[in-house]
Amino acid sequence: MDEEEVGEDFNNPRLRELGVDRATMPTAVEARELSRRFGDLTAVDHVSFEVGEGEIFGFLGPNGAGKTTTINMLITLLKPNDGTARVAGYDVVREPDQVRKRIGVVFQDPSSDRELTGYENLWIHGMIYGVPRSELAARIRKLLEFVELWDWRNVLMKRYSGGMIRRLEIARGLLHDPSILFMDEPTIGLDPQTRTKLWEYTIDVRRERGTTIFLTTHYMEEAERLCDRVAIIDHGRILALDKPSNLVKSMGGDVIYVKLLNGSSELLVSKLMERGVLLDHRPAGSTLMLRVFDAPTVMPIIFDIANFLGIKISEVSYRRPTLEDVFLYYTGRSLRDSEADWRETARVRARRGMRR
Amino acid sequence: MTLWSGTLMVMVYRQLKRFIRARSRVVGSIVNPLIWLGLFGIGWSSFFRGRLLPGLPNGASYLGFLAPGVVIMSTFIGGFIAGITVIWDKEFGFLKELLVAPASRAAGIVGRAIGDALSATLQGAIVLVGAIFLVSGLNPLGAPLALLAAFLTSLVFTGLGILVALKISSMEGFHLLVSLIMMPVMFLSDIFYPLGPLPSWMKAIAMMNPLTYAVDLARAGLAGAGEISPEISLVALIMISIVLLAADAKVFEKTTIS
Repeated sequence: MDEEEVGEDFNNPRLRELGVDRATMPTAVEARELSRRFGDLTAVDHVSFEVGEGEIFGFLGPNGAGKTTTINMLITLLKPNDGTARVAGYDVVREPDQVRKRIGVVFQDPSSDRELTGYENLWIHGMIYGVPRSELAARIRKLLEFVELWDWRNVLMKRYSGGMIRRLEIARGLLHDPSILFMDEPTIGLDPQTRTKLWEYTIDVRRERGTTIFLTTHYMEEAERLCDRVAIIDHGRILALDKPSNLVKSMGGDVIYVKLLNGSSELLVSKLMERGVLLDHRPAGSTLMLRVFDAPTVMPIIFDIANFLGIKISEVSYRRPTLEDVFLYYTGRSLRDSEADWRETARVRARRGMRR
Repeated sequence: MTLWSGTLMVMVYRQLKRFIRARSRVVGSIVNPLIWLGLFGIGWSSFFRGRLLPGLPNGASYLGFLAPGVVIMSTFIGGFIAGITVIWDKEFGFLKELLVAPASRAAGIVGRAIGDALSATLQGAIVLVGAIFLVSGLNPLGAPLALLAAFLTSLVFTGLGILVALKISSMEGFHLLVSLIMMPVMFLSDIFYPLGPLPSWMKAIAMMNPLTYAVDLARAGLAGAGEISPEISLVALIMISIVLLAADAKVFEKTTIS
C-alpha cells in the first residue's frame, strides 16, 4: 500500500464508521459543529472536519463562503457561537494561549509594519513569540534566505511588492516553528509566477518541517496543486470533502453544459431521465449542467429530444470533469465568474497602492 | 528576559523606531507648537504688554506663561494621535499579529503606550528647548520637571487614545473624534489662560482635566508660577495614567476581530 492510499483510507468516512480510525495519524485540527453568526447572517454553519498532522488541507470557496471566519475561529481571533474546535490538541476557546504558541498565521491582508524593514518585522515577531534571543538571528537569516528576501532585509516594507510581503509573512509565520501554519488566501492578487513560487515554498515547508498547512483559496488550480484534501465550502457549509482527485472521480463520466434559447429545461431533463442516460443534473446559472457516462453518445440524444420538444439549444459543450466542475456541481456557481471578482480587483489595487 | 518584558520592550522599540522614521511627522509636530508660541503667543503678548494680567504674578509676560502650556500641548496632541492610530493597526494589520501571538496582550498594549509616550515626550523636549531659547524668563532648571509633566501627559492621553481606538470600530469616527475631543480638552485647561479668572463652571471642568495638572506642573518648573501644588498634580497624573493603561490592557485582552 503506498502512502497515497494510506491517506485515502484515513479520510474515507466509511472506513472510519467501520472502526478504522486515524489513531496512527494524529489530528492537527479538529472542528465539531463549528458555527458563527453575525446578526442575521450565519457565516459558518455547523462545520465539522479534521486535518491530520502534516497534511495540506484546503478550504475552497468563493468570497463570503465563510472561509476567513472559520480561520479566525481556529486561530483564536473570533469566538464560535456554537460547536468546538481543537487546534494542536488544545481547545481554541478555553486554551487560546496554548493554541497561539503552536500556530503560525499568514493573514489575507498584509499584517506587517510597513514603516519597518523586513528584518525588523521578523525580529519583533520573534520577541513576541519568545524565540530565544540566542537563536533569533540565525533563524531569521535561514527563513529570509528560504523566501529569497535576505538581500531585502534592510529595506522598509512599504517598498516591498505584494508578493514580497506575502513571502516575508510566510517566513514570519514560521519563525517560531509552529506545528500548524494557517494561510488565508495566500496568493490572492498575485501574478501567476509569484503564485507558482509561493506554491513551491508551501510544499517545501511541509517537506522540510513537517508543518501541517491549513489554507483557504478560491483558486481551483491552487487547491488542485497544493492540497492533499479539499473541503468545498459555500454559504458557511461544507458541501464536499475529499482528495481533489477523488472529488473529480466522484463526478464519473463526462460533464455536458447546455444553454437553451427557449423551452423548459425541466422537460428536457425529465425526458433524458426517462431514457436513462443522465447520472445527475444541476442548474448552473443560465446553463444546465448534465453529468453523463459518455458525452459523445449522449449528445445526439439530447439534440433529438430537444428537437422533438421544440427546444432550441444555443450552446453546448462537454468535457472530462475537473475540480471546477465539481465546484460548480456542488455550489451551482462557477468560481471564475464569481460575483466577488470586483472585490479582488479592489484588493489588488489596494496592494498596488500600498507598494506605490 | 521573560516573554512579558520582551514583548513590552519590543513594542516600545517599535513605536520609537516608527516615530524617528516618520520625519515629516516629527517636523510637523515641532513646527506646529512653535507657530502657536511664535505667532499666537507674540500676538497676545504684545497686546497684553504693560497691563496687569489677572491670575498671573505681577510683571509676568504672557509669552512666559504660554510657553509651558505649548510644550505640554505638543505632547498632548502627539500622544493622543499616536494612541488613536491603534484603530489603523487594529483594522489593517499589525495588531492582528499581536492578537494571535502567545505574548501577553497587556504587555503589548502597555509597551505600545509607553513607546508612544516616549516619542511624544521627545517631541515635547524639542519644543521645550526651542521655547527656552525663544522666550526670555523661563527657568532652564525647571526643564526636568517640565519633561516629567510632558511624559505623564503623553502617557495619560496615549492611554486615552488607545482606549477610544479600541472601542470604536471604524476609521470614519477618527476625524470626528479628534476634533471633538482635542479642541475642548485644550480650551478647558490652563494652557492659554490661568484658571483664576475663569467662570466657575469652566474652572470646575478644567479641574477635572488631566491636562490642567500637567500644564500647571510644567509651569511650576519653568515659570515658577503654578496654581496647584506640584505634589497633587504629580499624584493625579500618575494615578490617571495607571487607571487608563489598566483599562487599555483589560479591553485589549478581550479584543476580537469581526
